[in-house]
Amino acid sequence: MTPLIRLAGVTKTLKGQEQPRTILAGVDLTVHSGDSVAILGRSGSGKSTLLSVIGLFDRPDEGQYLLGEQDITRIPERKAAALRSAEFGFVFQRFFLLKHLTAAQNVAMALVNGQGWLSRRKRKAKVLAALDRVGIAHLAKHKPPRLSGGEQQRVAIARALVREPRILLADEPTGALDTETGNLVVEALRATTDHGCGLVLVTHDRDHAAKMGRVLRLSDGLLNPAAERVVV
Amino acid sequence: MIRLSGRLRSSLIIGGQGIRARKLRTFLSMVSLFMGVLAVVVVQAGAEIANRALLADVELSQGKDGTRQMYLNPEGKTVETALDVLAGRTDAVAMTTVQAIIGEPGVKPVNEGGGPVDQPGGYGRNMTCDVNGCYEVPTGNEGAPSGQAVELQLVGLTGDIRSFRPFRVDSGQWLDFGGDPSLAPRLVLNTKAAEAFRRFEVPAEMRLQGSTINATPRFVGVVEDGGYAPAAYVRSDELLNWLGAGDLSSGRNGPGLQVMMSPAASEVEHALRARLVAAGTPEEQIHVNTVNTLERMSTELSLMRWIFLGMAALVLLIGVAGILNVGLATVGERIEEFALRRAVGTPRLLLAGIVLAETLLTGLLTAAAAIGVGVVALQLASGMFGSRYPSLQGIEFPWQAGVAGVVAGLVAGVLGGLVPAVRAARIPIATVMRA
Repeated sequence: MTPLIRLAGVTKTLKGQEQPRTILAGVDLTVHSGDSVAILGRSGSGKSTLLSVIGLFDRPDEGQYLLGEQDITRIPERKAAALRSAEFGFVFQRFFLLKHLTAAQNVAMALVNGQGWLSRRKRKAKVLAALDRVGIAHLAKHKPPRLSGGEQQRVAIARALVREPRILLADEPTGALDTETGNLVVEALRATTDHGCGLVLVTHDRDHAAKMGRVLRLSDGLLNPAAERVVV
Repeated sequence: MIRLSGRLRSSLIIGGQGIRARKLRTFLSMVSLFMGVLAVVVVQAGAEIANRALLADVELSQGKDGTRQMYLNPEGKTVETALDVLAGRTDAVAMTTVQAIIGEPGVKPVNEGGGPVDQPGGYGRNMTCDVNGCYEVPTGNEGAPSGQAVELQLVGLTGDIRSFRPFRVDSGQWLDFGGDPSLAPRLVLNTKAAEAFRRFEVPAEMRLQGSTINATPRFVGVVEDGGYAPAAYVRSDELLNWLGAGDLSSGRNGPGLQVMMSPAASEVEHALRARLVAAGTPEEQIHVNTVNTLERMSTELSLMRWIFLGMAALVLLIGVAGILNVGLATVGERIEEFALRRAVGTPRLLLAGIVLAETLLTGLLTAAAAIGVGVVALQLASGMFGSRYPSLQGIEFPWQAGVAGVVAGLVAGVLGGLVPAVRAARIPIATVMRA
């Protein structure tokens, strides 16, 4: 079966500093449909950089990056934007919700992005379905300041899911939440894999990582299976 | 096309959300831009209104654009021939001019020479010069006592002149060229003559230069003809009851015999020219020109307009600096939002479009406000000063000023939003989302 994404020998060196620093030194990673992968690592180990490369925010210096069978290692920005819209969903630690928009409008942001056009009716239906999927459809008209941290993160997950991406990338999504709320969010994320979505979760929390299908550790620029690998 | 439409709609939706989210900031941007756009609207409106008012005045006195004008020396059989050729025509009208004094019999008119009655001395006495020197021209009033009478130019017409010079009827009615000529000449006064007769209400007896018998005129109306001196208009055939054709155009201050023709009346012009030459008028004394008021005025007015528009543009530039300043600050505040939008697939171009859409919408809102203020101010000015300045009566806001306002708003939006738009498009996703 063709994997959703496959990284082979990917390297990334941060330049513009006195000493260029190699963050990724030949990372190999394959994610299939329905896979859930947790990536652990110390602060500054390059987890977010790896997620930036996978999410096409950044490009690898060397190596190969395949999306399905398409080589997207050196994809131009215009096409990368289209792929980010169609294939990837992103969840961040700080939610990044716009305070002046309602929950529904925040979710709709991923639909009103210049990549195709949906009528207002279709947009509304998709937004409500995404909010419903994370259990907060009743909060559609609420603005972020009136929502709890967990609710805000679920709005962010709905925003990531509204275009029904094939890969969901989550960068420490529970970092700003208490344990109980964090568990609920991780469970919501993991549930997306039931629909065939691939999930890559960057986290510091071993308990949350343990809920993923695979646990990998990024260390010295290389990705290796972690000792605490648990199959849920 | 669908792709472009989707992006355009997206940028308008997001731009609208941005404006709603920052109402005060948008309002302050509008305030900084308002004076500039208003200046452009006012200059353009003022220029258009002045243009129309001047054109209307010039048309009254000189004729509509394209009108063919023939000037003839009223000698020999010239006047008789012209009246004969043009009688009953609507596409060409002959105008003769004779001096007339209307008022108390046998007195010296209050405006001897036919000048404005409110200017003491009027045009003064008429002089003529030859190789031996200059002499006063006898007026026929020498030795007459001062009295209440008004001297004016009496213009004889073979047809309705208003198709060439759009006189505005002030009161009464215009001359009726149908029916038989009346023995009591029916006169339409210009406003200067009407004003003179309001001041000097006297028995109306009309002395005509070249006539030994005085007629009793009938005033049937008053028109605005753009003239500065008293004048009256009369049917040529009614005047011919009292004067010979040779005396019809003996006015001292008039242009001699003048013929006005529509641009399409070339056959009449050829026929008149041929008949005049046949009647003994030298070919070289037949002068024809075409009224070209609009072009001449446009040249004169355009310089003024550009000077004022230049000043308005400077004011607008200050407004642009305001929008630019606010735009840069806003982009700085919205780095996370723009990075997030890029992360969810928004292309750089659309991000730039969102910022431009916001500044363009701000510019358009400002333009709408400035145009609204312009319309209201014009209506107020028309209501308050219309009685003092007739050109302001019933005036409408010129559409050109509206277009200029919208263009100024859009240009200011583009100029003020361009740099912030480029900055927004260059925001790196990875750096921001990792922070």
